[in-house]
Amino acid sequence: MDPFAVLGLPRRFTLDMKQAEARHLELSKTLHPDRYAAAAPNERRMALSRAVEVNEAWRALRDPIKRAEAILTLAGKQVGETREPKPAPAFLMEVMEAREELDEAKGNAEHVERVVSRARAQFAAAEGELGAAIDRGAFDDAIPLLGRLRYAARFLDEARLAEDHLAGF
Amino acid sequence: MAYSDKVIEHYENPRNVGTLDKNDDNVGTGLVGAPACGDVMRLQIKVEAGKIVDAKFKTFGCGSAIASSSLATEWLKGKSLEEAETIQNTAIVEELNLPPVKIHCSVLAEDAIKSAIADFRAKQAAKKG
Repeated sequence: MDPFAVLGLPRRFTLDMKQAEARHLELSKTLHPDRYAAAAPNERRMALSRAVEVNEAWRALRDPIKRAEAILTLAGKQVGETREPKPAPAFLMEVMEAREELDEAKGNAEHVERVVSRARAQFAAAEGELGAAIDRGAFDDAIPLLGRLRYAARFLDEARLAEDHLAGF
Repeated sequence: MAYSDKVIEHYENPRNVGTLDKNDDNVGTGLVGAPACGDVMRLQIKVEAGKIVDAKFKTFGCGSAIASSSLATEWLKGKSLEEAETIQNTAIVEELNLPPVKIHCSVLAEDAIKSAIADFRAKQAAKKG
């Protein structure tokens, strides 16, 4: 499935997300089962499977990691599981150190905040670099950047969890 | 997805969590990661007279990744480097009953062992000059 085609959007990483969401809502409304209550069974089935497709497409596009994966997969690149190249040692060292720092920061509100805001900035930077590479068609450069974004996303999740923990959730 | 009892056991009571001095000539450090899930694993061995006398790990990742590295450190202790090199991910999969979607965690542990051994050997070679 090409989620961009399903929603009638250009195949780009940098999308107008408001427009994308509006397309999703508009199509979902048009394909809503209530509108096909009186239609022939095959038409009803068609509308339903289209509606499922539209939902899947939106889920794939709203998330930057899935959006990048969709573009790279459509370009014939292998992504996910163990198909991507191993991360560079220096990068892994950074990841390890950041993780250890977060462990140490746990329980100390100020320190956790610092880690969270850095994690946010790193995620945004990784997303920006990945998007730029994809949108200029440099798919091979994009693959390690996708790995970076995955690490950044994972770290941001962990950092937010530590933050929630402080807030007593 | 359900974890096997052995994975849960290692996850709740991980063996040999910790750090060895990475600047010690007798310590080899392996640092590996799985880009697809954002896991990172550090495995260290301390070698004396060709035998692994200590092994430590630190893994940030899912239960299977933690269990795989915990098990690996248990297996490494007391082994010679040559024996350690023969440890394969399939043995880890079997011991922990890992499901297919978690096989990459055992691959990561095998990579970590190999890269720790390679680091130790590189240090020894550098020492000899």
